[in-house]
Amino acid sequence: MIEVAGLTKRFGRHVAVDNLSFNVTPGRVTGFLGPNGSGKSTTLRCMVNLDHVDAGAVTFGGEVYRSIHRPISSVGLLLDASYVHPARSGRNHLRWLAASNGIGRGRVEEVLALVGLVDVAHKRLKNYSLGMKQRLGLAAALLGDPATVILDEPANGLDPEGIRWIRDMLRYLASEGRAVLVSSHQLSEMSLMAEDLVVIGRGRLIDQCSVHEFVRRNTTSQVRVRSPQVGEILRQARMLGATIEYVGDSAVSDTALISGVSIEVVGETSAKVGAVLHELTEVTESLEDAFLAVTATEQEYRSGGAS
Amino acid sequence: MIDAIRAEWIKVRTVRVHWILVLIAIAFPVVVAALVGVFNPDPQFIFAKDVIDLVSGVSVVSILLLASLWVINLTSEFSHGTIRVTYAAIPARWKVLMAKAAIGTVVTAVVLTVTFWLAWFVGSTILSARGATTMSLSDVPDVAGMFWSLIALAVIVSWFALGLGTIIRNSPASVVVVLLWPLLIENLVALALNLAGVDSANKWMPYQAAIQAVGDLDGYSDVLGRPAAQLYFGAVALGLLVIGVGLDRRRDA
Repeated sequence: MIEVAGLTKRFGRHVAVDNLSFNVTPGRVTGFLGPNGSGKSTTLRCMVNLDHVDAGAVTFGGEVYRSIHRPISSVGLLLDASYVHPARSGRNHLRWLAASNGIGRGRVEEVLALVGLVDVAHKRLKNYSLGMKQRLGLAAALLGDPATVILDEPANGLDPEGIRWIRDMLRYLASEGRAVLVSSHQLSEMSLMAEDLVVIGRGRLIDQCSVHEFVRRNTTSQVRVRSPQVGEILRQARMLGATIEYVGDSAVSDTALISGVSIEVVGETSAKVGAVLHELTEVTESLEDAFLAVTATEQEYRSGGAS
Repeated sequence: MIDAIRAEWIKVRTVRVHWILVLIAIAFPVVVAALVGVFNPDPQFIFAKDVIDLVSGVSVVSILLLASLWVINLTSEFSHGTIRVTYAAIPARWKVLMAKAAIGTVVTAVVLTVTFWLAWFVGSTILSARGATTMSLSDVPDVAGMFWSLIALAVIVSWFALGLGTIIRNSPASVVVVLLWPLLIENLVALALNLAGVDSANKWMPYQAAIQAVGDLDGYSDVLGRPAAQLYFGAVALGLLVIGVGLDRRRDA
């Protein structure tokens, strides 16, 4: 269990993290989302005592990080896959890390096998691709078999197979009862990977809830209906207070999007008017849509419109 | 602390440039001693004390190379970001820096011991073969004092380098400062003090005083004594290290 309470971090006058509080529950993958510059990485560094906090506290199972004896065995970390010495081999990178927390060499070989790097473990890290470094970073995070795993952008640089592998790995880790906190910009991947979300903007908490709840709260769902008798269905739906939007020319289109009523109501209405249905689908927006809607006013860096 | 020392020992052993610096540090005095032995036109006028003076003088270059090693070993952690992995693994940062200092102390002492005696052996053997007078250490007054003060100088310089590296954090800047401190910075400070009317300012330049204290002090009245010079420089180096540890504790990693 990770408990973040009132975390505040300032860089001069700039408040990078502002009174941030959230929890990460064991047995679940929690996604950590926020626009660029929202303070995600700073928060993660503050959590493990790399950056000094101005206020607030973070505990792991009730203990502050710096008081944990041999912390690798409690909290597995991947903050940045490029935090390696390029002249050192992957195996030696893990060996010094293992030695720093009294972990034996046997465990190094185990995690190398787990992430599929045994064959390249002797190579110097300057020859590793970003994807290989991500795998090595995950191996380092798992070195101490920790109860808590914190990963910053673990899918960066991974190929599709690697992305699926890391998704399955994180779910597996959570299924073993570990608390998994993962930050990522790949929202489609996050929607598949995470069960809970912590969303921040400009260093402040915007929302903490399940992915499903977050999408439900922050998007509108529509019902797509296609029928030769679409006009009759829509007339009935309007009477129920629905909003109608034709797909294509309303004079000839047999397809429409209905908002404001549930798919069940549209189905029952169709049956009541004796309409033949060729399609009845609930169209829900994605996590990306929900995220963009929620963080629209929280973007630190905004791109210009395409011209 | 033992875990930190084990981790730092693996770090030192597993980067090729560290080995290259150690090999150069050993090879330089040995090669110089060999060249002097081979090319000196009058080997019969070379005595054991001359060889020891040569070796101890040239070994200062080895000391600077080893100091560069310890600076690079630390500051490359900041440039590559591995210091964050290190401090996350060992949250008590002072343990990491003390482990580096401990490794630096032992490795520096061992490497310089090997260097000193290997260079002496090579130089004296070649000169003996070329007709020099019998090369015996018993003919060299205070050879043990010179040797141990050289080792002390090397160890203190390793702390000095680590302290500067911890404060500066940047590899090129730290190496430049470590190398220029005895060669330029202290000379400039002494010159400025002399111009300001301070007598014998050189005597109080800690790095230079410790270097001078390695050699034969007979006949020199304007230098600190050997123990005083080493204690003085040792205190300065430890002071830098303490400042570095204090700053490092307060800074973000």
